[in-house]
Amino acid sequence: MSKFKKDNNKSVPGVNTSSLPDIVFMLLFFFMVATTSKESDPSVKVVQPEGTMATDMTPYKQRSEIDFLYIGKPVNKARAEAYKKLGMEYLLFMDNVAQSTPDQLYNVNMVKKWKLDKFESKPARMSTPIEGVITCVKADKGTPSGLIFDIRGELQDIDALTIGYAVREVNKKKEE
Amino acid sequence: MAKREIPEINAGSMADIAFLLLIFFLVTTTMDKDTAYIRNIPKKIVNQEKKPPVEERNIFAIKANSMNQLMIRGVIISNPDDISEKIIEFYRTNEIKNDPKNNFPMYSRASMKEIEANLERALEEAEKVENTPGAMQDIIDFKYRQVAEWEKKKRALQLYGKKELPEIHPQAHIRIEVQKATDYELFTKIQSEVEEAIYELRNDAAMKIFGESYDKILSRYTMDKSPADKEKLDLLKILYPDRIIEVTPKR
Repeated sequence: MSKFKKDNNKSVPGVNTSSLPDIVFMLLFFFMVATTSKESDPSVKVVQPEGTMATDMTPYKQRSEIDFLYIGKPVNKARAEAYKKLGMEYLLFMDNVAQSTPDQLYNVNMVKKWKLDKFESKPARMSTPIEGVITCVKADKGTPSGLIFDIRGELQDIDALTIGYAVREVNKKKEE
Repeated sequence: MAKREIPEINAGSMADIAFLLLIFFLVTTTMDKDTAYIRNIPKKIVNQEKKPPVEERNIFAIKANSMNQLMIRGVIISNPDDISEKIIEFYRTNEIKNDPKNNFPMYSRASMKEIEANLERALEEAEKVENTPGAMQDIIDFKYRQVAEWEKKKRALQLYGKKELPEIHPQAHIRIEVQKATDYELFTKIQSEVEEAIYELRNDAAMKIFGESYDKILSRYTMDKSPADKEKLDLLKILYPDRIIEVTPKR
């Protein structure tokens, strides 16, 4: 049995880890590419209500056929107090209204201008008609519905006829 | 000068650095999708004529007041989860057989012959209007939309594979009436229930007719936009239309 000579003196060779960084980098790049960062960080506090069977907005986001509008109380306490004195509790946050004042809050009057500005700033080749561009309203649970309908009225005036009511999708198991 | 050997850079800690970055991205990534209920806003009507009367049986009114209390078709309910069942009842009651005694919308059942006759008539009318000098483009478009509608119904019935195409009354709709102070949470809850009911109705029909779930057809259609799937979805939409009216609150 000399063919299978036991060589007890040989030590176990160490695992070659030189390709470990490559693997980790691959994972890293995957996450970097797959991450979609929020377009803007709203300065109003939004706790979304829960709902089932809502439509996924990802395809619309990819085609940039969607504008987000946030409604909630201002995050900043002092600011919330100041607005409350003016009789405004729930305020609107829109991205890119004016670049110089990124965390400005507005009331309903600004919706038309924001929407039209956004629509015109889109390149011509990917212009869906304004009726088709979804205005997605991300509102806080406690927002009075009257405010939602005010926005709806404003959108109706400029023929932006698609609205989305954002909810946090909860997977209620289909009871069957 | 003596030849010096350049020492190799130790890359052993490279993995650690990469891991650190990886963990950072893992933690900061939020995977939650944006989801919403998409609704169409009706076009603004400039000169409002008298509203056409709608039979009470065709209205499924969901009302919510400023105290977040719910009322469905005049009955106060305490559990909002019941809405979807009530909506299904609204669609299903007269689906098989019309009973004028109850307070639910009637169904029409058009046979292939009737649909074809209507299609022909619509086409004739459309051509007549088009050939009339001075006809408004709006009217021509409207006539051709009607033709398209009948064609859609014809294809739907072919796909349905039965003698008749059951269709709920064209005025039957779900009406959401909230007050200004109603919480957004309740408003979306109502929307959620409506969506759930429509989904269930369409899913049942999809399983019965095509043997696959509505979800499956829908997600496949968003992927490859095949015309066969579009016809399937059209049929389901004709069988269970989602006509939702959101009434702007006055107080």
